[in-house]
Amino acid sequence: MTNMLALIQNEMLKVWKKKRFAVVVLILLILIPIFVYAQMKIAQNTTEKFNADWRSELQSRITDNTNALSSDRIPEEWKKWRRALVQQLQYYLDHDINPQTPNAVTFTRTFMDNSVSLFIPLMVLAIASDLVSSERSTGTIKMLLTRPVRRWRILFAKLSALTLYVSLIVITTALLCYLISGLVFGYKGWEEPVFVGFMVQGADVDTTGVHAVTQGVYLLMQSGLIWFSAMIVAIIALMISVLVRSTAASFVTMMATIIAGTILSSMASSWTSAKYLFNVNLELSSYLRGTPPPVEGMSLGFSLVILGLWGVAALIVSFTVFTKQDILN
Amino acid sequence: MKSSSWLWKILGWTTLICLVVMITGFGWALKDTWFPKDGLALPEASKPEAATGGDWSAKNELFITTLGDSLTKGTGDATGEGYVNRVVKSLSKQLDKPINLVNNMAINGLTAEKLVDRLDESGFKNAIAKADIILMTIGGNDLFQIAQSGGSLAEGGDLSPELVLEQLPQAQPNLKAVFHKIRELNPQARILYVGLYNAFYDLPEMRQVSTAVAEWNDYAFSLAKSDGNATVVPTYDLFEFNVKAYLSSDHFHPNAQGYTRISDRIVQALQ
Repeated sequence: MTNMLALIQNEMLKVWKKKRFAVVVLILLILIPIFVYAQMKIAQNTTEKFNADWRSELQSRITDNTNALSSDRIPEEWKKWRRALVQQLQYYLDHDINPQTPNAVTFTRTFMDNSVSLFIPLMVLAIASDLVSSERSTGTIKMLLTRPVRRWRILFAKLSALTLYVSLIVITTALLCYLISGLVFGYKGWEEPVFVGFMVQGADVDTTGVHAVTQGVYLLMQSGLIWFSAMIVAIIALMISVLVRSTAASFVTMMATIIAGTILSSMASSWTSAKYLFNVNLELSSYLRGTPPPVEGMSLGFSLVILGLWGVAALIVSFTVFTKQDILN
Repeated sequence: MKSSSWLWKILGWTTLICLVVMITGFGWALKDTWFPKDGLALPEASKPEAATGGDWSAKNELFITTLGDSLTKGTGDATGEGYVNRVVKSLSKQLDKPINLVNNMAINGLTAEKLVDRLDESGFKNAIAKADIILMTIGGNDLFQIAQSGGSLAEGGDLSPELVLEQLPQAQPNLKAVFHKIRELNPQARILYVGLYNAFYDLPEMRQVSTAVAEWNDYAFSLAKSDGNATVVPTYDLFEFNVKAYLSSDHFHPNAQGYTRISDRIVQALQ
């Protein structure tokens, strides 16, 4: 057991010393202020337009989306999405709850929602994609494997370190987002109510299960779901890293897959079997929010099972290949 | 080596806590989705603002709410202004005080029948309650689109003067309901109803539609008169002799110039 812990320590420190996490923090420190500034401009603009009356602004969003529904040029899938949105916004208005109170927690929640499909995976890949392949390209893998340690233990240590770093990345993203946006929007908002439990069924939204949670709880649940999909990305990236010798190749492969997933999600509705791909299922937090899934019939349970199966398969491949593989040159 | 053992301690514990938090969040999300508890009690709603009524000249600013169909939306206007934004600008200049558009709640293709239902929605209620002036266009879709059973509207299609006339008795009670509901929601606002026009005046076989339009406008006028603080702004005369110059290419909605003329009328009526 101590042996295992030492291995994990070794892996954790290796990633840290390679300054991978520092790069992630640096990217966040540069990008978040940009988004905060953009959001601030939007907020100023709407305050000017609607005299800080959020009810008017909300009604205007409802009217705009309703008008878009009557347009013949908008594809049916987008209309479905808008119809669900209109019904949700109407629910907020009917219960006199502002869905977008301007504060740091709201900003963080929105930012996390938007980063689940690309931004978080990208940062996870910064650590995951060269975990094994870099050892191979620098030749240190030989040293590692000539030690009297079983190979699966080495990979397991790498996987554990990866899990810990993924958790750290998700929390750091949320935390930095909160701290930076709070400078502009104020550090309040943990107690604001958010509605969860909207069930999208065909063209309609079922509101029977809708209940309110505080924004703080929402953020926690949302981060947990984002963490799960980030973990699956990390595990698959680990598999690619085992299979592919070059770090660049493994990074590009994963990135291409993730980007393909976001593109597919927006047009997969006619190709229903796309729902079995892992990259179409990554947006777990959208189930919490109640936006229609990319393919009809997808649910939180379904996506979790699909992601879980992909994760298990990737682990089996990684461990089999890593323990059996010959290390040449 | 010393520094890395410190680093490991901090890093190990921090990431472990992060992991525990994430698993908690994940578990919580699953529990909340599949076994939801009763939600949080919602805070007491703050009262939406209501109009203060009273004399306009005593007020520092006025609030306008607009509702209705595509004409209020501004469909056909290439500048995107519609009559609504033109009225707001021009009235603000004339009265020399800020005019705030509370909301333009027009929906393309809305009929009086559907507007009656919409007026029960809280968004409509709030916006109407807050207004000093309410502008609306409604009824065009009741008379024309419902009467149209295929074929292009611009070509006259199946639309015949008889069909339009047939729609009148069904549509009129809805207009009445709209007027009544708005008045219930806001006892003080001035209501301006923008009358209908015959967009097909240049087609000889469709001139008769003007009879139905005139009857509809008359009816609206009678509603406005019984209301006391409402008026009908006529537009039918604007789109007769030179229809093409003031209608957009769909031959139904006004173009930018057409909307300018409508807004001029409205501003005159409000002064």
